[in-house]
Amino acid sequence: MSQENKTPVVKETFVKNNSDVAVTIQYLSFVLGKEEYGVDILRVQEIRSWEPVSRVPNVPPYEKGVVNLRGAIVPIIDLRERFSLSKVEYTPLTVVVVLQTGNGNHTRIMGVVVDSVSDVISVDKSEIQGAPDFGTKVSNEFINGLVSVNERMVMLLDVDKLLTLETTEQSEN
Amino acid sequence: MKMNMPVTNHEVVMKSGAILVTRTDLKGVITFANDAFVEISGYSRAELVGSSHNIVRHPDMPSAVYEEMWNTIKKEKPWHGVVKNRTKAGDFYWVNANAMPLLENGSVIGYISVRHAPSRTDISEAEQFYRKVATNEAALHSTGAAAFFKKIKEISLDKKLAFASTLLAAPNVFLMSEFLNTADYGLLSVTVTLTVLGGLMVFKISHNTSELVNLSINELRKVSQNKFGVPPNLRRDDQFGDLFRTIYGTGIKLGSDVGRLNQDAADALRIISGLENVQSSVLITNVNLDIIFVNQSARTLFSRVEADFKKHLPNFRADTLLGTNIDVFHTNPEYQRQLLGKLSDSTMYELELAGHAFQIIAKPVISADGSRIGYIAEWMDRTQENKIEREIENLVNSIKVGDLRARIHLEGKEGFNKSLSININGLTDVIESVFMDINAIMQKMADGDLTGNIHTDYQGAYAQCKDNINNTITKINQFIEQIREAAEFVNNASQEIASGNNNLSHRVEQQAASLEETAASMEELASTVKCNATDMQQALNVVKSTAQLAEKGGDVVKSAIVAMREINESSNRIAEIIGVIDEIAFQTNLLALNASVEAARAGEQGRGFSVVATEVRKLAQRSASAAAQSSEMIQNSVQKVHAGTAFVNETGTALMEIVGGIIKVGDLVGHIAESSNEQSAGIGQVNQAVAQLDEITQQNAALAEEAAANSMAMSEQSAKMTQLISFFKLSNKSSSLAVRQHDSTSKKAVVVKPKSAAVVQSSPSYNSDWEEF
Repeated sequence: MSQENKTPVVKETFVKNNSDVAVTIQYLSFVLGKEEYGVDILRVQEIRSWEPVSRVPNVPPYEKGVVNLRGAIVPIIDLRERFSLSKVEYTPLTVVVVLQTGNGNHTRIMGVVVDSVSDVISVDKSEIQGAPDFGTKVSNEFINGLVSVNERMVMLLDVDKLLTLETTEQSEN
Repeated sequence: MKMNMPVTNHEVVMKSGAILVTRTDLKGVITFANDAFVEISGYSRAELVGSSHNIVRHPDMPSAVYEEMWNTIKKEKPWHGVVKNRTKAGDFYWVNANAMPLLENGSVIGYISVRHAPSRTDISEAEQFYRKVATNEAALHSTGAAAFFKKIKEISLDKKLAFASTLLAAPNVFLMSEFLNTADYGLLSVTVTLTVLGGLMVFKISHNTSELVNLSINELRKVSQNKFGVPPNLRRDDQFGDLFRTIYGTGIKLGSDVGRLNQDAADALRIISGLENVQSSVLITNVNLDIIFVNQSARTLFSRVEADFKKHLPNFRADTLLGTNIDVFHTNPEYQRQLLGKLSDSTMYELELAGHAFQIIAKPVISADGSRIGYIAEWMDRTQENKIEREIENLVNSIKVGDLRARIHLEGKEGFNKSLSININGLTDVIESVFMDINAIMQKMADGDLTGNIHTDYQGAYAQCKDNINNTITKINQFIEQIREAAEFVNNASQEIASGNNNLSHRVEQQAASLEETAASMEELASTVKCNATDMQQALNVVKSTAQLAEKGGDVVKSAIVAMREINESSNRIAEIIGVIDEIAFQTNLLALNASVEAARAGEQGRGFSVVATEVRKLAQRSASAAAQSSEMIQNSVQKVHAGTAFVNETGTALMEIVGGIIKVGDLVGHIAESSNEQSAGIGQVNQAVAQLDEITQQNAALAEEAAANSMAMSEQSAKMTQLISFFKLSNKSSSLAVRQHDSTSKKAVVVKPKSAAVVQSSPSYNSDWEEF
């Protein structure tokens, strides 16, 4: 619902700014390895630098632990490990993107560790293409589509699915 | 009286022991003269026999001597005297002559005269006596008292005995008268008895003696007539017995002599008849060369040649040859006599007379006492033999001088001569054939034709000669074939050698040029080495200053290292500062992003803020990129400073090594300076060696030239040899080969000529090069 509600806002913005031609959506892009990913900027709560985490026992290895974010306990997952990419050492430049889902009353917040945040990009919705069936290490189910920005391929992630899936997996566990 | 004149004073001395025997008939005509008489008389037997014996009388002899002789011997008494005789030539000789009648059946049939050599005393006495007789100072017959004494002396024996007995008895008669007077009857009777006995004995003895003497005479007469019997009284012991035994012995001796003489005569007769019938022509002469025997063969021979002989010897007559002197055969008898006089042994001589050739073997007949009693001559008619001998001699001479066509003519030849001639002609045929064959084959060989062979069949040495010649030709064939191959090989080889020598000459020329360059290089090298030696001293100085500079460089490097370290520290601090700036830029970026997120969430209201956030983000990004660039540059400079430090460190160590190296270089330069001096000396030696090389090269060039000329000469010689050998025409298959090879060699010879010309032309160019060199 919130999605649907927010979407028109964005549309409106675009309509107002660029007459009636296109609907634009802003994405925050980040880098994992050599691939660039994008998440809807409205799902981003905060961007933080990496801080040491409190370990939680008996969780999957990609779940690094939890942090206290101004009173809220936020789980931190390593997207690299989640996407079965190779592990890297964390540096002072390693960034944690705090994401939120507004699924009804149940708002969920989670930090994902990425290599670096690159940019905020505005994407015409018509330019978003369907995700292919193969070619990436991210399962199709997380990917809304692909967009080409300045000849860079950016994979657009579905944060809800990402977090839900996480939830279901957690509940299953 | 017959006077044989003339006379000389030359005496022919009769040989002692010689016996001159003559027989005459009752009228004194010589019927027989022995050889000794014929010889000493000087007459031929023919002249003597039939002549009167006074033919040999000497005028010095008194005719009374001969009268006495004739008177004596006509009384059938033997006569004896020393007589001087005359030879035909007028010389004289003394003989001790004995003449006596020759009795047969009691009657005188002739006279025999036997002469011995007298002593010189006899001769001188006789000579004296005859001279006295001639002057009537002496007489042959005794006169007066001498005749009386001679008469008494020659009273018969029994009368002398009776007279002697009477003389002996006279004293006894005186004794008996004395005894009778003295009446000594005893003695008287003894004396009478003895006287009577003695008288009887004397009578008896004288009677017997007379009887025996007569008997002896009788017996001796018988002996003289060759009537030998046994005389009585042989057994008497007295002197008569001895006398008879002596007579008997003499008879037996004479008988045996007569028997031996008869035997000799029979033997002589047999020999004569044998000689008469032998094939050889035999003439026998006495010592005066009178022919005393001519046998049948000789008669035939001489009658055959009589007609021819008469042309030269008008006195020659074959039918009256016997008894004539052999002077009839000779135109110069004196010379012949001298020859025969010297003859001592069998001698052969040749006699050419009236176109007839005789071979005469003459031999003196020597008697038992060593005196020459005649000659025997054997005549052989050698006319035919001489003819064929001459023909054979001519033939042999012809063959000797190489005329092999000569032959003996067979016309008019018979028997042995003919077969001999045929055989000799056959021999000559064989020799001629052999030589013609050899000549033909040698002629062909001389013309180089070796295809011939001797095919005629020969025997013995000729066959060997033929086989050897054939083998020789075969061998020469093979030999020349091999020589020909060898010559071709030599020809090819010599051509190769010639070209090789040519190449050698070229190379020697190049070598000479190289040597020239080498010599020039060596001079340059020598000057360079001298420069080196002087440069080396300068280099030593340079090295010393370089070492000082290098030490200074080391100090500079040390201070550079310190400066580098300081730069490094500064860079690290700059890097830290830049890291801070970078972190700030990062945080700023994050903040700007969060601002962007917030602005986006704020929607339309956040729109301006978004722009600011974006601007901030851009600034942050620019700061970050500048920081990154600065960091990168600082990193670079830090790395470069590190590298520079490393370089400077290396430079320091290198400089230290350089210093050590320069010191070594100094030493080395010193060594090099010494070495340069040694090099100078060495180069001097090398220069000498090059000079020697130059000399040797010149010699080599000369030798190469010589060798080239020699090899060309050899090539020409071998070509000539090949040509020469092609002269030979070989037999069988090789002959065709010969022709082919001859062609090839002739072509080669033509090819060779220009080559040799080329070489000859090239050799002077060497010389000129050498003069330049």
